[in-house]
Amino acid sequence: MKGRFVLVLLLSCPLLLLCGCWDYTEVELLDFVLGAGLDQVEPDFVVVTEMIKTSGSAQEAQVERVVLTTHGRSLSSAARALSSPAGRDVFWSHAQVFLVSEEVARGGVLSAIEYVVRSRHMRSTIYMFVTRDCTVEEVFKSTPPFNDTVSEHLGVIVDLHAQVSNFYPLQVWEFAQDLNAEGISGTLPTVQLIHERGEMVPIVKGTAVFKKDKMVGWLDGEESALFSLLKGRFQRNHFVMETRTSQGTYPITYQIMGNKVDIKPNVKGERPRMSIKIGLQLSVVEVGHGAKISFQDEKEVKSIEEQLAHTFNRRTRDLLEKLQLEYNADILGFGQLLRRKEPDIWRRYSENWECVFPLLAVDVEAKCTIAFTGLYSQPIIVRD
Amino acid sequence: MFFWRRAKQKKARGLTSLTNSLDTNIHWFKQDIFANDETIIYRRFRTGDPQSRACVLVFAEHMVKHEFLSEHIVRAMMQGPLPGGLHKDELITYVTEHIIHSNGVTVTGSFSKLSELIVGGRGVLLVDGCDLGIAVDAQGWAKRQVTEPPSENVVRGPRQGFTEDLGGNVALVQRRITNPAFKTKFMTVGTQSNTKVAVVYVDSVASQALVDEVIDRIEKIEIDAVLDSGYIQELIQDSPYSPMPTIGHTERPDIVAGKILEGRVAVLVDGSPFALTMPYLFVEAFQSNEDYYNHWVPATFHRIVRYISFFITTSTPALYLALISYHPQLIPTNLVISIAASRQNVPFPGIVEVVAMGLVFEILREGGVRLPRPVGQAISIVGAIVLGDAAVSASLVSAPMIIVVGITAVAGFVISPLYNTAVLMRLFLVLTSSILGFYGFVLGVMAIVIHLASIKSFGVPYLTSMTEFLGQNVKDAMVRVPWWRMNLRPKYVAAQDRKRLQSAPGRKNR
Repeated sequence: MKGRFVLVLLLSCPLLLLCGCWDYTEVELLDFVLGAGLDQVEPDFVVVTEMIKTSGSAQEAQVERVVLTTHGRSLSSAARALSSPAGRDVFWSHAQVFLVSEEVARGGVLSAIEYVVRSRHMRSTIYMFVTRDCTVEEVFKSTPPFNDTVSEHLGVIVDLHAQVSNFYPLQVWEFAQDLNAEGISGTLPTVQLIHERGEMVPIVKGTAVFKKDKMVGWLDGEESALFSLLKGRFQRNHFVMETRTSQGTYPITYQIMGNKVDIKPNVKGERPRMSIKIGLQLSVVEVGHGAKISFQDEKEVKSIEEQLAHTFNRRTRDLLEKLQLEYNADILGFGQLLRRKEPDIWRRYSENWECVFPLLAVDVEAKCTIAFTGLYSQPIIVRD
Repeated sequence: MFFWRRAKQKKARGLTSLTNSLDTNIHWFKQDIFANDETIIYRRFRTGDPQSRACVLVFAEHMVKHEFLSEHIVRAMMQGPLPGGLHKDELITYVTEHIIHSNGVTVTGSFSKLSELIVGGRGVLLVDGCDLGIAVDAQGWAKRQVTEPPSENVVRGPRQGFTEDLGGNVALVQRRITNPAFKTKFMTVGTQSNTKVAVVYVDSVASQALVDEVIDRIEKIEIDAVLDSGYIQELIQDSPYSPMPTIGHTERPDIVAGKILEGRVAVLVDGSPFALTMPYLFVEAFQSNEDYYNHWVPATFHRIVRYISFFITTSTPALYLALISYHPQLIPTNLVISIAASRQNVPFPGIVEVVAMGLVFEILREGGVRLPRPVGQAISIVGAIVLGDAAVSASLVSAPMIIVVGITAVAGFVISPLYNTAVLMRLFLVLTSSILGFYGFVLGVMAIVIHLASIKSFGVPYLTSMTEFLGQNVKDAMVRVPWWRMNLRPKYVAAQDRKRLQSAPGRKNR
C-alpha cells in the first residue's frame, strides 16, 4: 500500500513539469510599448506606437526609442501587426498614453477607445489625448527636451497638472464613462507641438470638446483651466489679472490656493436653472509694474477680491456661452446633475436635452478671498 | 554448534561479582574485561599497617587526575593505620569513612558496574580479602575553557558559553537559578557510549507532564552512541519529517535559564556544547536573548526587522522570478526597462538564473563555513569579486539577480535558527512561482502555513502566539513589551506559578 502511494507520488511529479508554465515569458524578450496613437481610421487603421529598445551590456543598459507605424482593418489588427516589424513579443501593459488625431476624433472616437478599454493588455488608466494641428506620428517623432520618450514626457506633464492646469487630464476609463453616461459630454486634453531650439516639442494645452463620440471643437488653455476648476479639480494654477487699485491699474499674478465649486440644479421656477457657486482662495504671487499696493489696507483687498469675483463670473459665463451656443456640448454634466438630484424633472427633459441645454439659464456666483500675499505685505518702494 | 557451546561455556565461567581473592579479581579484569586495553593501569601497593594488606588501584590512565589518586588514595592508604581485626565490609566502610578524602565514593561488588566506573574516569580501589571495590571520583581530562559561544554572539549580554563538559554546563545554568526548584535529572543514553544526559527544569514552573514526557522519550532511546545533542534532538522531536525545528538548541546558558524559567525543559548532553530546549515554537526563532537585555523599543524594532528579513530571505527570489517571468506589468515602467536591458545578453531563463545563483551562494557558504578563517576569507573574495562581478560582466547573470541573491543571503543570516529551513522554503517557493507566477507563490505560502499550523512541539501548537491578537502570549511575539508589562509567564508552557513579576518600582514614575 505504502509502495503504491509512493509510486503514484513519483509518477505525478512529471505532471508538474509537463503542464507547461501558464504564460511564462522572459522579460528581455518583450518590446515595451510606452505610448500609442491612432492617426487614421479610413480606409485603414493607422496605428503609431512608441516602443523602447533595450540594448547594451548588463552593466551599461542603453535605452532607445523606436516609433513604428502599422496598418490594419481594425485597431487590434493594426496593433497585432506590430509584432512583425518589432520582431518580438509586443507588451502593451506599460503603455501610458493613447493619442487620437483630430481627424479620428472628429470622425468618432469610439473606434479608438473600444479596443483600448476592452483589451486586457492595455490598462484602463492610460491617459488619452487629441492631437491638435499635427498628426500622432509627428507627436511621437518630436523630441522632448528632458525625457527619453514622448510618452514619458506626456505622463510627466499630466502629473504636473496641479501646477499648470490648462488642460483637464482624463484616463481612458473616465472618458469612456463620460461617453457612456447620460447628460454629460466628454472632453480630452489636446497635445500640440511647439518649436523649441529648432526641434518640435510636444506640450499639453487646451481641451477637445466632444459631443457624443465626435469632436466638435476646442477650448484654449485659459478656458481649459477654468473648466478644470469648475470640475472641482485641485489646482495651483497661476493667472494674471489687470487689477484696478487706488494707485492705478496693474497686472497682478494670482495663484489659486483652494477651490470649492458647487453646481446645483434649481427647479423652483417654471424651468430648471443651474446655479454655479465658486469659492476661491487666492494668493498674490507677483505684483507687476511697480504697483504700490499695500495688502494691509482692507478696502484695497476688498476691492481686489470683488474684481476677482467679477472676472471669474465673466469668464465662467463666457465659457458657458461657448459650450451652450457654439458647441452645444454639456461637458460640465448639467444633465447628469439634474438626473441625480431631480430625477423626475430630468425624465421630462432627457429626451430632448440637446435642445434644452443651449437655453438653460445658469446663475454664476463667484466668491474670492485673498488668503496670502507672499512674504511681503508692503510694496517694494524704489528710492535713489 | 561449536561456537554456541563455547559462548555458553564462557558465560558459565564468567564472574559477575568480585571474589575475596585480589589476584583472581585482577586477573579477571586483565584477561577478560580489559583484555588488550593498554590504557588501564593497575597500581599495586600495600597498606602501611602491620598487616600490610595488598591493594590494587585500577584506573584508566588518561581519564583521571593522577595527583589526586596518588595523594588521596595511595598515600592515604599507605600511611593511614588500618585497625586490625576488620574484615570485608567493615574494612571497606572504614576505608571510605576514614581514609579516602573524596566527595564521590561508590562501593559495589559488581564487575560490570566497576568496569563502567573505571572507563568513566574513576579510580577503583580493590583490597585483598574484600569482595567489594571502592570507586572514587577522580575524573580529570582535557577541558575547554568557558568562552564566548562562537555561534551566538551578543553585543550586550553574558559572554559565557557552554563547553563539552556536562557537569560544568549544568553548573553554568544553575548559577543563574540558585533556587531549590531548579532540578536536574541525569540519565544515560547509548549502549556503547554511555553518554550522560541531564534534563534540567524549574520544578515550580514547568508542567510535570512535560518533564515526564521528555524523560520518557529519552529513556526510550536505544542507540549505540550519542556524540552530540543533535542525536537526541532528532530522536525525540515531534514531526521528524518536517524541516521545521521543533526543538531549539543554544550554546548560551543565559538562554537556557530564560527558557526553563518560562516553563520549558532543557536537555544537556555530555560532550556537546549545545543544549536543547523544548517545546520550541516558531516565534522563538525570532526572539533573541538580546531582546530582553536591551530597551524594549529597539528590541521590538529589531524583532520586526527579523520578521521582515524572514520574508525577504524566503520570498525575494520567488517574487522576482514571478515578476519578471509572469507579471512584467506589475513592475514600474522604468524598472522593468532597466531589468530587461540588464538581462539582454543573459543566455539563461530566469528560473535557471535564480536556482543557479542560489546554488552558487550555498556552495560559497558551505565552502567558507568549515574552513579556517584565513582560507574562508579567500573564499568570500572569490565569491564577491570573481563570481559576482565577473559573472555580470560576462553576461552570465544579470545585475538585478546579484542584488536579489545578495539581499536574500544577508537576510537569511538575521534569523539564524531558521536558516536551513529558510533555504528550503525559498527553493520551494521559487519552484511554485516558476510554474504559476504569483498564483503559485501564494499557493506555496499557503502550503507552508498549513504545514506550520499542523505541527506541534511537545503538545504545543507550533504557531502558538502568532495566530492570536490579544492576550499575554502576544506580548512576546511580534513585539517585545516592556518587562513591567510581561508580568505573566507564557501560558502555553508555564503550567504553574504563572506570575513572573510581582512589582516594578519604576512604574510610578514613567
